Amino acid sequence: MKRSVVVTGMGAVTPLGEDFPRTWNALIAGKEADAPLKLFSTADFRCHRAAVASLPFLSGLSPKMVPRLSRASRLAIPSAREALAMAGLLEGSGRCSMSVLPLSVSTTAGGMEFGENFLRDMIARKRSGLLGKASRYMPQQQVLDLQETLGFEGPSTIIANACASGANAIGHAADMISSGMSDCVLTGGFEALTELVFVGFDCLQATTVERCRPFDLNRTGLMLGEGAAFLVLETPEHARQRGARALCRLSGYGHSTDFFHLTQPQPEGKALVTAMRQAVSAASVEPREIGYVNAHGTATPMNDGAEARAYSAFFADSLDQIRISSTKAAIGHTLGAAGSIEALFSMQALITGKLPPQLNLQTPIPEIAPALVPNGGGNSFMRHAMSVNLGFGGSNAALIFSKNEN
Amino acid sequence: MKTDLAVIGQGAVTPAGIGVDALIHNTPKETKVCLVSRPQHQMPVFRVGLDEPWSKRWQTEPRLRRASAISYFLVEAGEQALAGLSVSERSQTGVVIAFSTGCLAYSRRFFESIIVQGQKSASPALFPETVFNSPVSHVAAVLHLQESTYALVGDDAAWIAALKTAWLWLEQERMAQVLVLGAEEFDSACLDAYYNARWFARRGTESPFIPSEGAAGVLVRKARPSDSKIISQIEDGFIYRSKAQALAAGERCFDKFESGLPCYSSAGGHWLRDIERKLNSRPAPHGDADQPAYLGEAATASSAWNTLRGLALLDQKLPRLLIPIWGSTHQIGALKVENRAPQLV
Repeated sequence: MKRSVVVTGMGAVTPLGEDFPRTWNALIAGKEADAPLKLFSTADFRCHRAAVASLPFLSGLSPKMVPRLSRASRLAIPSAREALAMAGLLEGSGRCSMSVLPLSVSTTAGGMEFGENFLRDMIARKRSGLLGKASRYMPQQQVLDLQETLGFEGPSTIIANACASGANAIGHAADMISSGMSDCVLTGGFEALTELVFVGFDCLQATTVERCRPFDLNRTGLMLGEGAAFLVLETPEHARQRGARALCRLSGYGHSTDFFHLTQPQPEGKALVTAMRQAVSAASVEPREIGYVNAHGTATPMNDGAEARAYSAFFADSLDQIRISSTKAAIGHTLGAAGSIEALFSMQALITGKLPPQLNLQTPIPEIAPALVPNGGGNSFMRHAMSVNLGFGGSNAALIFSKNEN
Repeated sequence: MKTDLAVIGQGAVTPAGIGVDALIHNTPKETKVCLVSRPQHQMPVFRVGLDEPWSKRWQTEPRLRRASAISYFLVEAGEQALAGLSVSERSQTGVVIAFSTGCLAYSRRFFESIIVQGQKSASPALFPETVFNSPVSHVAAVLHLQESTYALVGDDAAWIAALKTAWLWLEQERMAQVLVLGAEEFDSACLDAYYNARWFARRGTESPFIPSEGAAGVLVRKARPSDSKIISQIEDGFIYRSKAQALAAGERCFDKFESGLPCYSSAGGHWLRDIERKLNSRPAPHGDADQPAYLGEAATASSAWNTLRGLALLDQKLPRLLIPIWGSTHQIGALKVENRAPQLV
């Protein structure tokens, strides 16, 4: 028999704030983090803007240690620490009270800036410092940074399913708990803006030189962003024994693969419909019971069209009762962290009844026009919220969060 | 693990040849490649020939037209492991692939062109193939596997996380079987990284570290009474930063298994080979005489090769075996494999 999964902690660092409360307040206030990108030269790019996060101060780390951390680790550590603190799993020393804590995390580029610098130095035949750069770019290094800084060990799974990874990591953590493999898992995603990734999206002309307009008929592309978000998942019994408060339940997870094309979704979004059906089936809810969907909504012509048709098919007659928004116009597309950050937004919408607005919407895409939330608003009666992500290679994932039953 | 995993298919692409027989019986040929940062230094490498007959059948696949070597290794190893599976059985098969450096060749080419020729030279054809998930998508599309797919990353021990993921999916009855693969491709950037990590043999030492490439994998399902090759225990998550910590991590890992379990020597030319020797007081299943040839170090692919080699040793005299997986930069794990073939009277 499958075990229930509850969320007891969450934390985030995003371009809207150095922790989750500040991020959420800015999001609900309709702020967006679109700004000139200064982390590296964009002189020869089409696009020169992105959503850049401020790196929080890392307490408890020596001044020598901090520069050795990748930007991804500097985003991941404070958000994981915030989630552990909220769950009551952080000691006064800033370390985790559990010595063994499984991790399920996601990223697409890890500490890529170290990899970029390694290649630059190698090509320039500079011979000093190559080892530090080569070893610190790989994603397991950020996991090791988390484990060492927060003081725990245990099995770790690093999922790199492109832009769906964050949702997959959370769903995988839920699978670990519901199957009996683990009682408590720290899960989330992290992604830092790096030149290689930025130039990649720029050369594909996937980034916009205008404003990011998810689900708008005149959308022209995505805005890249960065950030990290973490959650503590556990069984209700494990939480109860610790005296931890369950914020909500993670009741459903669906994942599927779209084989249509490496970088383009099947135009009707059939694989996304499959993932959403799996998720509602696991959660034992009907599509019409979903109150809010935090959509993937990258604002690229291909993605938003297919995604909107998938929602139209999936929700059918109940579409006008559902509320949908993509928060990527506010925080950018955070790639491997997107699924985790957006899962937190879905949960907070469920908990507070406040809905993140669909920013920059002028001419809504007709398939889901009645469901989009241009001015935010609320839905305090909803019992379930869904977070949806799609990625390169055809990864599709859907998570359902539900209010506690009592 | 409440449910055992049965290995019902195997596939391998190695520098010593293609297929499980080649993995066990053949010896690879060494080539030499120059360091980029020190062009006067040549280092030994084991490479997989891509101009050989096995790769020809994949070259007409539209999905693989722009793909790098790692996707070719994966589809070949995957197809071998799926041999005999019907179209409908393939449609109920998921895929989990473990990588360490992943699509390194194209990532290096893509970024090198930006460094050398400027940002405007970035290739939109190359970039999608640099994504970890791309080879996974290719494998599923080319081999007609229609269930879920995961790309996992980490050091050599990501192979263990991949096997555990397969176990989770099967335990939850999401699909009938899962293809689990590990793969790496060689690129000259590796050489400079390994050289700077001092992993190559130094004069006077016997460590034979040689970078390598390839893929291997297993097709697994929930074990049935008729299944013979079984993975019955998977342990991982024993982390380390230094060699001293690695010894303690290895001890904690080995302590999870029953004592007296014969141990397959899997460290090869790995920099943790000394740790394996210190830990391994358990009886070795084979002497030096029948030790398979050294295939070099290819992270997750090596982990998969070692698993297949360990499975091949199982027989009536050796019904159970511990296979350690030595993660190069993060963690140590191990598998227990068993032979449950019915005894012949």
